[in-house]
Amino acid sequence: MATTSGNIKEFYRQRKKSGVSKPSNSKISTKKSLKNAATFGSDITQPSALISHGSPDLQDDYDENEDMLRKFDMNMAYGPCLGMTRLARWERARSLGLNPPEEIEGLLKAEKVRADCLWDGRV
Amino acid sequence: MRGIEPRTSRMQSERSTMLQLFDSVPLADFPAMEIDSQNILQRKQATYTSLDDTFEIHKETYRGQQYSQIYFARLHLMRTLLHSLAPNWKPHLPVCTILQLEKDRECIIVGTLYKHMKLKPCILDEYSKERSVTPLVKPHNFIHPDDTLVLEDDSGRVKLSGSVLLPSIYVTGVVVALLGKETDAGDFLVQDVLEAGLPPQIEHPLKPREDKHVVFVSGLSVGGSTSNPLQFQLLIDHITGHLGDEKEQGIAAEIVHVVLAGNSVEFPRGLLNGQNLASKDQSRLSEPIKELDIFLTQVAASLPLDIMPGSDDPANFSLPQQPLNRCLFPGSSAYNTFRSCTNPHCFEVDNIRFLGTSGQNIDDLEKYSEAKDKLEFMERTLRWRHLAPTTPNTLGCYPFVDRDPFFIDSCPHVYFVGNQDKYKTGLIKGSEGQLVRLICIPKFCDTGVAVVLNLRNLECHTLSFGTEFSS
Repeated sequence: MATTSGNIKEFYRQRKKSGVSKPSNSKISTKKSLKNAATFGSDITQPSALISHGSPDLQDDYDENEDMLRKFDMNMAYGPCLGMTRLARWERARSLGLNPPEEIEGLLKAEKVRADCLWDGRV
Repeated sequence: MRGIEPRTSRMQSERSTMLQLFDSVPLADFPAMEIDSQNILQRKQATYTSLDDTFEIHKETYRGQQYSQIYFARLHLMRTLLHSLAPNWKPHLPVCTILQLEKDRECIIVGTLYKHMKLKPCILDEYSKERSVTPLVKPHNFIHPDDTLVLEDDSGRVKLSGSVLLPSIYVTGVVVALLGKETDAGDFLVQDVLEAGLPPQIEHPLKPREDKHVVFVSGLSVGGSTSNPLQFQLLIDHITGHLGDEKEQGIAAEIVHVVLAGNSVEFPRGLLNGQNLASKDQSRLSEPIKELDIFLTQVAASLPLDIMPGSDDPANFSLPQQPLNRCLFPGSSAYNTFRSCTNPHCFEVDNIRFLGTSGQNIDDLEKYSEAKDKLEFMERTLRWRHLAPTTPNTLGCYPFVDRDPFFIDSCPHVYFVGNQDKYKTGLIKGSEGQLVRLICIPKFCDTGVAVVLNLRNLECHTLSFGTEFSS
């Protein structure tokens, strides 16, 4: 197991205040909802054996800002999202006259959110 | 500097006219010469503006993006354009996306064409288990009667059928609007096509002006086995006014600009075989470019010169090719008349807009489509409003993220392509009164032909140099 920090507690700490609870392990094998299988409490995308840089990406889970940004990533009208930072994609959408929502820009510039799109590093 | 000094013995013996050189070299350098008459010919001048900004890669950094970004930029740009043209073309017909197609409902769809070609070499063929009969010799042209076209937009793709859209004319990467309907078989029966058409052209003043000429040369291949230095030297001597009598020099004085459209140098490829170069070989490797620099210094001392990189030149491979580094030309880059330019190259001389490439875009079209001559390929690229539609599919190009620099937004008055087999020229007219002079510049090393364009009436003629004595 390659968690260099060696903190099992940290690794399993998935209690979020937003009220979305982690389903128990026994349910995971049956609950293969395609939408969230990769992120909801399972370690399919980040199996412990492959985590080499310390802490796993826990922010992956339900977060309103991240959710809004993901919708922006997935919106086809603004073009492909892979290979660009979200802000660059927003700027491109604006310069092409697509009128992307202003809140996204505010979010990307002000708050601490992931700069890259949701597929970055996973594809 | 050789070539700048006039042939003193010849000058002394006749009533002389001396071409006043560009103010980079003072006249006082020729003390040995006796000038009988002070009939000095002035070279004509013209204003020049470079418009290569879109082709330069300034701050682009590669972040691992794929080519989907440039295809999106191209589709978006051209779709907006085609949507604005569609009401004039077929009023009252709906425009829809591919996913919204319904059977037997006539509508217009806009998307990027993809041509599925049987003979196009594919890297996956190497991995295919069945060793089907592949021709050993690769054909120059990959067309096959079974090629099919598919239209793709960001929602989906649909196979195209019907006899209106001929696969042999189109290539992957062209954005068009199609009128038709979905058939039972699931493909789209095309009834009519709308291409973007010639872009708007800025009016150039038609007032009668004096004759001014621009000389185009390409494929010099200095240092190569087929090039003859004497031929190029003759061309330079003619342009700089060192050849001929007064009348001839008068004609040369009307030349205001020279454009070298690619493949100016040819390196000895045998040396580049992956082995370490001995110092003797290293100097042999740099000889062609030094020779070219000596030639170009003579030209740059006389008149403005633009040099574009070509497929064999020491520049980057993918389009848009960046300007050749000025360090390669220590002699000529000292002159402010020497300009190293991108490929494609766009510029204005006396408010006449020129646009041209070193040939890669047209050569690639020739491999994947058919036309009666090169001028027809050139005309198609203008009507598709895209210089190189096959990028990045079969022609290397930089993966731009937010723009497509090959989109032609303003129609040039002169459109040239270098490194072709033969000299060809033609004039095309657009629906809004645009007029474009098309020029195919032949390879100088093979033909000894340079092209001269008269800015007054946009007519072309050739200058050919031979060094063989006919027996």
